Amino acid sequence: MIRKLVYNGKKSTEALPGSRGISNINISKVIGNSVLKLNPWYLARENAVMFTVEVLFLVVLFVGMGLTHIPKVFASQTQAFYYASAVILIITVWFSTFSEALSEAQARARVDSLRNLEREVTARKIVGDKREVIVNSRTLKPGDEVLVYSGEVIPRDGIVMEGKAFVDESMMTGESNPVFKEKDDHVIGGTRIASDRLRIEITSEAGRSFLDQMVTLIESATRPKTKNEIALTILLAGLSLIFIMVVGSLLFFAYFLGYIADIGMLIALLVALMPTTIGGLLSAIGVAGITRIGRDNIVAKSGKGIEAAGDADILILDKTGTITEGSRAAITFIPLEKYTERDVGQAAFAASIHDNTHEGKSIVHLAEEKGFIPPLVEKMLVARQLEFSAETCYSGIELIKNKRVELSSELQEEATAIHKFEDGNGDAGRQLKTDENVDSKVSKMLLELDSRNQEFKILKGSVETMLKLVPNVNEAELKWKAQEISKNGQTPFLVAIDIEAIGLVALKDNLKENICQRLEEVRAAGITTVMITGDNILTAQVIAKEANVDQIMAEAKPSDKLTRVQEEQLKGHVIGMVGDGTNDAPALAKADVGLAMNSGTAAAKEAANMVDLDSDPSKILRVVKLGKQLLMTRGAITTFSIANDVAKYFAIIPAMFIATNPKLAVLNIMQLHSPTTAILATLIFNAIIIPALIPLSLRGVTFRPEPPEKTFIRNMLIYGLGGVALPFVAIKAIDMLLTLFLH
Amino acid sequence: MNPVIELVVVLGGTIGLSVPFGMYLARMISYEMRPLEAPLARVENGFYKIVGIDKNKQMTWKEYAFSLFITNIIIGVFIFLVFLLQGYIPSPSHVNGLSIDLAFNTAVSFITNTNLQHFAGDQTLTVTTQIIAITFAMFIAPASGIAAAFAFIRSFIRKNFGLGNFYVDFIRIILTLLLPVAFVSALLLMFLGSPQTLSPSVTINHTLEGHNQTFTTGPVASLESIKELGSNGGGYFGSNSGHPFENPNGPSNIYEMFLMLIIPVSFPIAYAKLVGKARGISLLLAILIGFGILLAISFSQTSGPTGLETRFGSFGSEFFNTVSIATNTGAANSALSGMSVNPVISFFLAMFVQSIPGADGTGILYMLIYVVLTLFIVGLMVGKTPEFMNMKISPIDIKLAAFIFLIHPAIIFIPAVIAFASGNAQSILAVPAGKMTTVSGFTQALYEYTSAAANNGSDYLGTSANNPFWNWSTGIVMFLGRYPPIILALAIAGSFTLKDRKEAIEPIKTHGPLFIAVLLVMTFLLTALTFFPVIVIGPFSM
Repeated sequence: MIRKLVYNGKKSTEALPGSRGISNINISKVIGNSVLKLNPWYLARENAVMFTVEVLFLVVLFVGMGLTHIPKVFASQTQAFYYASAVILIITVWFSTFSEALSEAQARARVDSLRNLEREVTARKIVGDKREVIVNSRTLKPGDEVLVYSGEVIPRDGIVMEGKAFVDESMMTGESNPVFKEKDDHVIGGTRIASDRLRIEITSEAGRSFLDQMVTLIESATRPKTKNEIALTILLAGLSLIFIMVVGSLLFFAYFLGYIADIGMLIALLVALMPTTIGGLLSAIGVAGITRIGRDNIVAKSGKGIEAAGDADILILDKTGTITEGSRAAITFIPLEKYTERDVGQAAFAASIHDNTHEGKSIVHLAEEKGFIPPLVEKMLVARQLEFSAETCYSGIELIKNKRVELSSELQEEATAIHKFEDGNGDAGRQLKTDENVDSKVSKMLLELDSRNQEFKILKGSVETMLKLVPNVNEAELKWKAQEISKNGQTPFLVAIDIEAIGLVALKDNLKENICQRLEEVRAAGITTVMITGDNILTAQVIAKEANVDQIMAEAKPSDKLTRVQEEQLKGHVIGMVGDGTNDAPALAKADVGLAMNSGTAAAKEAANMVDLDSDPSKILRVVKLGKQLLMTRGAITTFSIANDVAKYFAIIPAMFIATNPKLAVLNIMQLHSPTTAILATLIFNAIIIPALIPLSLRGVTFRPEPPEKTFIRNMLIYGLGGVALPFVAIKAIDMLLTLFLH
Repeated sequence: MNPVIELVVVLGGTIGLSVPFGMYLARMISYEMRPLEAPLARVENGFYKIVGIDKNKQMTWKEYAFSLFITNIIIGVFIFLVFLLQGYIPSPSHVNGLSIDLAFNTAVSFITNTNLQHFAGDQTLTVTTQIIAITFAMFIAPASGIAAAFAFIRSFIRKNFGLGNFYVDFIRIILTLLLPVAFVSALLLMFLGSPQTLSPSVTINHTLEGHNQTFTTGPVASLESIKELGSNGGGYFGSNSGHPFENPNGPSNIYEMFLMLIIPVSFPIAYAKLVGKARGISLLLAILIGFGILLAISFSQTSGPTGLETRFGSFGSEFFNTVSIATNTGAANSALSGMSVNPVISFFLAMFVQSIPGADGTGILYMLIYVVLTLFIVGLMVGKTPEFMNMKISPIDIKLAAFIFLIHPAIIFIPAVIAFASGNAQSILAVPAGKMTTVSGFTQALYEYTSAAANNGSDYLGTSANNPFWNWSTGIVMFLGRYPPIILALAIAGSFTLKDRKEAIEPIKTHGPLFIAVLLVMTFLLTALTFFPVIVIGPFSM
């Protein structure tokens, strides 16, 4: 069976104040940081394109100040022109560092609010010999020893050093029964001690370390670049080099051909052509990607994971917790031929009387509601409980031979409460139920078995495993009825008394809200979803169909996840998966995108490259969207940046040469006022497009659930064609404004 | 001849015949059975034995690149010595050896598939040299380019398919592709009127005017066929394919255009056979549409009549020259100086792009690198790590591709600046006093280096550029325009052959109208962004 994932549906995104927008960002600090980032050493290392612009700024400045020995032919413009150009160039660089500083500030604000979300508990740390000091769990380090008493929460993963105790691990594993722990056993942080006390040595780093990793990711000057970022940086550097060559040689060619070959104008052309827009925004886009992930309360441990998420083409999803609510509830009792619904209800009630799982409770609840109460309730309350285990795959009770029933006051109360249901809980219409309950076949059978003074079991479990225990059953009938249940997407449990099969309980799990729509979006983007479940194939198929899942892995064991991940990776797929248990850790580590639940074990969190603080497994779908968005934003602005060059050529080239060569009038599409205004207008456009695109870089290009082809066409039209058209309009407008002011 | 019919015959014939040719190339690439496999293999095995090649050895990209390079260097040195020492080599005609710089230029020119000629073949070279150096190199150069393309395409077929063995490819390409087609074509050209003889000249005693007239002849048909088929372009005569012996009439003009186009156009078909029908056909369509654009630019303005062969007229000349320059053959059936502005711009564009359809082998190689770059941007636009045929495009591939695109403008612009700054350009161009240069002078110098860099070979300057500066500088440019890109492309192949392949569907199909459109826009845009200024101040202003 697949471990149940703990899901709490709280939408903490909305709850956090100031998580959106930039309201809680210290603007003066951002400006301060952006100025510090103008440091040429920093730029030379981090941003080659902007470093080049900064160097060119110095060249133009020195030319303007007359500090260079460039021949007059190459520096023929007015001083004002050089100064104006120089100012625009340095502002261009500053806009870029500002965007970076702003995105970092946003990310930092995000991390701060994430810290509040983290679960904090107090712990009794042992200092010196035996002294206990109350500390915050955050401050614990591996190697520290803590004492945890009954009822307290274990602050962090560790190893038992001393003591024996029952630990309630239900919040981690979904197993309701406390687990016995003694020396050298591992305990999980966040679980509660049910009895006694333990001395524990802490073995894991604080969960906070993930947040710290994220902070490093944002702040570190040597932020590790992802492969795509590196490839794009190389492409941009290549383009810049080509343009340096083009413009450098153009300076000479223009001179040879008798044109005005001014170094300031050519530097303007070079800066306009270089991909400054994407070069200036590249790091802001990357950081914003991490911030956006953080906005969903997900801690990203590396930028790589986010990018891989965009590439994921197969998502392996647990059925329970991700696609369905994870709380199966009994809805009907289906008897086998010889029995009635009441018989099944009574037997199921008996089998579940000690079952504290959601399923068990729901069976008891359904039986009580229908008034199906078996006899011998008192005996059952003290019967030995047979826990569900992975080997047996069933649970129930074992009535012990000839045991005198001595109920504690607590159990007595419970028995009384149960008996109330027998007579319909005061409901007039159900008056006869007591008699019916007494007359039922199961009642008689139980009483007879009891009178024989033998031990016997009342069990419920999956049909396959239970079949071995009930030799005298009409297998065909049973299988047919089980199949009918499965066909409805429900899970059948077989209930048996001793070696006699009574009937089936149908349990139904509800689909999560919006899961269909979310999966539909994912599929539209060309991603295959695989649902992994311990259910039989029929049930799985029905749920898969309801929820729009592409493939299923039914009757799967936890270890099957890793196998599947490896298989698909061998075929070259990029895999995203969610996990929380320690046995998910290898698969999480192997998957390209591993999202661990914060409620999960430390091993899982360590192995995954992202941790969801809300522990909502269906968030993997959001992560995929955000990953795609990150890449798309980069691609869109790159395309935009390159497309801009077309208009910039048409603005600058005619402006530079038209006076000497009237043939170029054909190219003067924009009819700009003068060479000076044309060049300054282009430079100004080139600079202000950076802050104009900051919101887009931080927000990201909208991702729509649709085939990639459609996304591509739309983005090409907006950023490609738009990138060609916009500067024509904008440069013309800036030129007109400049003309107004200058004349 | 009716222009429309001529267009249809050349393009239709080429596309039609490119199917069997492409299928044959595909078999050569994947080492499948060819027609007459048994006897061919026996002949080839004999060769392998003589040269001492282990035909089963698969080469890494480094070994492949090294073998290609070293083979070219050895043969290059050999033909260099032939040019230098031709006076001592027995021949039906006697001409002295070439100067060291002209020998260097010519050797590099012919081994790099450029065939830029700073000399008039019929006057500077002996018949022996024409055969053992010129015609010989005309087989070696395209065979090397085609082999590089074979290795490159193999890297896409499937993981660790191997890049093949250069020597095996090289010998197979010469023996079973170039030689048979060139042989048949030579016969056909002889039939159409080209001479094929070892005697250097023929004297007619009584012409109409009653004088004696001597015609230079030689093994023209054999040279002409491989010159066009191998995208070489160096003429037997100084006037190249404008000479009646090289290109006797209309049908020969059409046939020669077909020869130039057939191998470059067949490669997409081979690609279709090997990595997917739709992909290859889309690539072919992209190339043909691009080529159509070049033709349209050329035809948009009538050329001549000065400088043109009256036998072919404006259309026949523009058509032949566009085909020749777009395939980087560089043969010309009429002088470039007779061409109008628009055809010249079209020629420049063709040489800047180098891949529509480009030279034998290297054309498809450049095209595929454009594809990789296009897909890089496309991948980013849809939010996926860019991939090509389900192989992730990694930073190293982009780095290598960026270098390839950096080399081309560098080896055009930098030497052009040096040529003018040092005064060497002005010394051979007609420049009025008081001026550094004229627009047409600038265009001619730019054309020279562009042609050398693209391994094209057509030029304005011809014999006037036969001086040490131009011989050495264009020689170096031709060398850098040939080997570094091929080696870098093979490095990309080396990177691709190791990549994991996905079975998943491509996010953006590498076929279909959308892909064709994007590929064409990207190809022309990258070229235009690099070369827009020089086109504007050069040919556009003429």
